[in-house]
Amino acid sequence: MSIAFKPEETFRGDYSYRNSDAAVLRFPFPFPEDRYMYSVNIEPHVRSGPSDVFLRPFDVDEHYIAECRDKAITLERDPGRCQVLPHMMMAQWDTLELLMENLSADYPEQFSLIKEGDDFGSRWTWINRPLGIEQSFIFGNAETLPCEPFEYITRQAQGDFAICDQRDDNLFMDAGMVTSQADWSLEFDVGMSFMEWHGPVPLAHQTGVFERALKYLLMLRLGQPVRRLNWTMSINPRLDTSPESYPEWGPDRASVTPDNAGQKVHLRVELQTLWRLPRSNAILFPIRCYLASLEDLARVPKWGARLHRVLSSLPPQLVEYKGLTRYLPAALEWLAQHDDGRELPVGTEPGITTLGPR
Amino acid sequence: MLHSDIKSRPTYTQLEPDLSGSQHLLIVEGDTVLPGRLDSLAGTFAPVEENLHTWLVGTQAGGLGLGKVWRLPGVADVVDAFACATRGYGIGDRLYVQGTEPFLWSVAKAAAIIGFSAEQIHLHHAGSLRRRVWCTHCHTVTEDVTTSIASCAGCHRHLLVRDHFSRRLGAFMGVMVDAEAPGEVPAVEESFA
Ligand code: HEM
Repeated sequence: MSIAFKPEETFRGDYSYRNSDAAVLRFPFPFPEDRYMYSVNIEPHVRSGPSDVFLRPFDVDEHYIAECRDKAITLERDPGRCQVLPHMMMAQWDTLELLMENLSADYPEQFSLIKEGDDFGSRWTWINRPLGIEQSFIFGNAETLPCEPFEYITRQAQGDFAICDQRDDNLFMDAGMVTSQADWSLEFDVGMSFMEWHGPVPLAHQTGVFERALKYLLMLRLGQPVRRLNWTMSINPRLDTSPESYPEWGPDRASVTPDNAGQKVHLRVELQTLWRLPRSNAILFPIRCYLASLEDLARVPKWGARLHRVLSSLPPQLVEYKGLTRYLPAALEWLAQHDDGRELPVGTEPGITTLGPR
Repeated sequence: MLHSDIKSRPTYTQLEPDLSGSQHLLIVEGDTVLPGRLDSLAGTFAPVEENLHTWLVGTQAGGLGLGKVWRLPGVADVVDAFACATRGYGIGDRLYVQGTEPFLWSVAKAAAIIGFSAEQIHLHHAGSLRRRVWCTHCHTVTEDVTTSIASCAGCHRHLLVRDHFSRRLGAFMGVMVDAEAPGEVPAVEESFA
């Protein structure tokens, strides 16, 4: 399968990131109904679903090259976005193996992995054609890679990654590569337990969402990954919306008007998957981020109308927590023109196969 | 006692000797000692007094009945004392700390480095509610914050003190309060006196 990469696009500065028509149609729209509330929305991560992003366990799309470059810029400015506690070396190799095996199997045109054996001590060769990388190394020997294995492979993957160590019937965020997060700090959270790092989330603790989610995850089985969608909104197609860089992107929230909301306001959807790792028994948590402007989304009539309804009925605690307070009225005013009040079918599918003209 | 619904902040308990331990170390921040309070601590720890060491930090208050008493000028000296500990601490040791939250976590962190596990450490919050605040932007720590908004000791931004706590840093998160509209700083309140 060939992918038409857009290596020049940017996620900062002039924000030249754009979605092709195909990228809009495969957007993982997260709202099956007109209202939204937190729930334990976890399902098996199978190779199918209402959007093509679910077809492969690790989705690679047209933004791959540009996104890896943006990640490198962020890491250059703030190396603390990648942190690994010392006892996580086994989990680092587990992650490298999982990503290399899946990417090379699902995208043979782009990635190859040549193994002389499966065990530690075997020589492996990794080829990443889009990024022009060819690397031979000894699986299990970190000295034979240019950096530690977790950083090495996650620099070559879209999205963020956390690794949770499992002990004392709890999960601890003991490693992470976090450059495209929705306003949380790895430096602050590293080493925290499941309930601690979820501390700031409103309403969900009280309704038992986190208690049930944790119980479920502790029993996660090898070879049976699960997934969930999470979402928020961002002004401009910006990947690095970290608290670290909030002074840079915060002012953008005050720049939204009913006229420019269609272009500026983006729905930010995270496809989060959870993987039991084989040797370390840790859980890998990749967070794959998809961005689409309101204008993109409104080209799918069902999505434009539905988003209007979800946002107009969002509980105030979620509006506040997600940081929408300042620009939500302008976004709603823009979206209102795309909602004629008709009944919308349940489900997240676009309901169309081609988009009308822009 | 500190009650809160901040999920990332630990719940602090009253101190009482853990009888499964064989050696007991009590560290008390002097400022938090109310009149008569050391006597009541002595009462509490009487069952283990034979094997009790007490470090009184920054106070001349008496330590009668608190085992072998040692006086240290400040929390930095406690951290140094742990870092240079010549006697090995082991699984039979129990550590009890009383103080403000920044004090508790400075001591707990230093103890963890030399091998104390979470189960061996008992923390009791006393005294001021002042917070240590970690700036998410420049990662500088600002000590002794009692207000809802504080100026960062590193980058001087006005930081809103969020109810999110990191044990590793022993600090609450501070986030620029006027990032979206520079100059719009809400009224500062005395919140953690
Ligand atoms: C085990 C891997 C997971 C990691 C590392 C993780 C991490 C995080 C982090 C760092 C935040 C941001 C908290 C903040 O404001 O500082 C968050 C938010 C959240 N998490 Fe998780 N999480 C995990 C699994 C889950 C699961 C299984 C659920 C299922 C219910 C869940 C539900 C949520 C919700 C509802 C939010 C609020 C998101 C929003 O409104 O934007 N998380 N998570």
